[in-house]
Amino acid sequence: MKFAEAIRAAIDAELSADQSVVVLGEEVGALGGVFTVTKGLVDKYGEDRVLDSPISEGALAGFAAGAATAGMRPIVEIMFSDFVMLAMDQLVNFAAKIHYMSNGQFSVPLVVRLPGGAGTNHGPQHSQALESWFAQTPGLIVAMPSTPSDAYWMLREAVRLDDPVMFFENKNLYFRLAEEIDPAEGPRGLRAAVRRPGDDVTIVSAGRMVGASLEAADLLAEAGFSIEVVDMRYLWPLDYGTVAASVRKTSKLAVVYEAVEYGGWGSEIASWAARDLFTDLDGPIHRIGTHRVPIPVGVPLEEAIVPTPATIFESVLELAKY
Amino acid sequence: MEPTALDELAELYRSMLLIRSVELAIEKSHRAGKIAGSFHSSLGQESCAAGVCANLRRSDVVTSTHRGHGHALAKGVSAEAVLAELFKKTHGTSGGRGASMHLHDRSVGFFGETAIVAGGVPWAAGAAWAFKRQGRDDIAVSFGGDGAFANGVFTETLRLARFWSAPCLFVCENNGWAHSMPVERLFGPPGSIAAQVAAMGLRAEVVDGKDVRAVSEISKELVEYTRSGRPAFLECVVYRVRAHSINDADYRYRPKTDGTDWLSANDPLAAARRLVEQHHPGRAAGIDEEVAGLVALALQSAEAGQSPHPRTAFETVYATKGLEWNGHLEVR
Repeated sequence: MKFAEAIRAAIDAELSADQSVVVLGEEVGALGGVFTVTKGLVDKYGEDRVLDSPISEGALAGFAAGAATAGMRPIVEIMFSDFVMLAMDQLVNFAAKIHYMSNGQFSVPLVVRLPGGAGTNHGPQHSQALESWFAQTPGLIVAMPSTPSDAYWMLREAVRLDDPVMFFENKNLYFRLAEEIDPAEGPRGLRAAVRRPGDDVTIVSAGRMVGASLEAADLLAEAGFSIEVVDMRYLWPLDYGTVAASVRKTSKLAVVYEAVEYGGWGSEIASWAARDLFTDLDGPIHRIGTHRVPIPVGVPLEEAIVPTPATIFESVLELAKY
Repeated sequence: MEPTALDELAELYRSMLLIRSVELAIEKSHRAGKIAGSFHSSLGQESCAAGVCANLRRSDVVTSTHRGHGHALAKGVSAEAVLAELFKKTHGTSGGRGASMHLHDRSVGFFGETAIVAGGVPWAAGAAWAFKRQGRDDIAVSFGGDGAFANGVFTETLRLARFWSAPCLFVCENNGWAHSMPVERLFGPPGSIAAQVAAMGLRAEVVDGKDVRAVSEISKELVEYTRSGRPAFLECVVYRVRAHSINDADYRYRPKTDGTDWLSANDPLAAARRLVEQHHPGRAAGIDEEVAGLVALALQSAEAGQSPHPRTAFETVYATKGLEWNGHLEVR
């Protein structure tokens, strides 16, 4: 099952299991979403449960959050994560805070699916990695799967959580990976995963950058270095424990993330590790994030600013040799 | 007039008087330095909150604005809980963490205020739609000001509500001012906002908000219409007597006596009281006494209440069990 199919299967399973689950978004019905993620769901569940929305992200997000406070479990698709700016007020000022502002009277079991990231040459308003913004917002959970299995189980878990979940799907992954979903695996419990064990350097990553980091780790293995790759899966809450255990083993840390490097979530991991794991570290912490420029169109320009296996290899090799 | 109608009139007057009295108590306490932060008075607009909410069930819900104390009280939130919240005490509507612009009382269907202009509008529509999906015939009422109508999410939500048939009544309290912007300058004369909404295909009505009976009558009709599964809109023409907020220097954009002059000639509360007296002499005095006593006790209780412990600032960030405010999954 490919990444996009895994997400569809997760939505299908939740729609089937719980009448309060509904899907809302632009083109999610007859068209099945611009990335085909919701393909066929409207035929199976009807227009009452898979709702095509007008192009009104702000009202859509607020409407879904409002429905969530009244007992529904909406899954909202924002066609490209870049368009979430139009819904920021409703997500950040309302959905994320109403539980707190009301002293616990309201909860917002809402999932916002956000296809994002570079790698498909969609240009500066269709390719950003905005997860760090949301990881900064108290009240939100930020999920970022890297494999079809994770996408499936993390989405099913997200639907059942009582807090708003910003679910970042890298559109570059949709059709590139395929694996069987093991029904015995189950939800991830908001935990990180060690994707590849190693002894020399820990790479902490998430989403599409996990694959890029694994490719870099293969190259580094050829150069004689053993790299451990940690997939955070969630950018909030942060499973610091898994990072700490890994860094204590390898003594070196690189963070690889597709968000803008400056002020990104990887900077937070680096900062925390610099303080709490200071005596465990045998080298400087490397941050490998996207350069702080708009995402350009075209392969050579895009690859010049977004981390690639080659740039990760280069940076981590330097760290490994430190 | 029928006896029930008289009871309704007395109830409308009581509701308006309660709003007026609580807000005057807040002003007084604020000026005395007992309440910090902002406060947006609805003085002179009580008729809209009272007239609309008189037609709602307890299980119907209301979402409100930064100027929402009146909506809260009219929907049945106690004066004690409102005042305690303004004093940021633990027995306030939100445990003292919401304060003036974040009153919430789910137990009476007051889903709450939001400080973002037009922010509560899609909330109401979504909740209303949820009730319909759940097979309940409850509705939601979204209160917003004229300023909110300038915000895109308001217009977007009206369209969405129509498209998805959300049983939501959108009430636009046109009080003449969007902060310092005169409404006429932005939208034209009263009724212009309703005309825009009607053009979007929703049933839209205009009512003189000074007349609480007129507000109640048209609201009754619109609530029934909404309950049948369609959204509707009401432009309630009122007037903002006070400044935008208690800290606002409104004399920079309007004459100093503007609000008070309007009130002395047009006070909807005085008009409602005259009506009660006209139909049932002596009855208003009893209501006056009852409300004064109730508000005095509420004020006393609010002043005497407990302030929340600082550690509670870290609580209720997440609803998910076991998920702490700082999100650390393991103790380091």
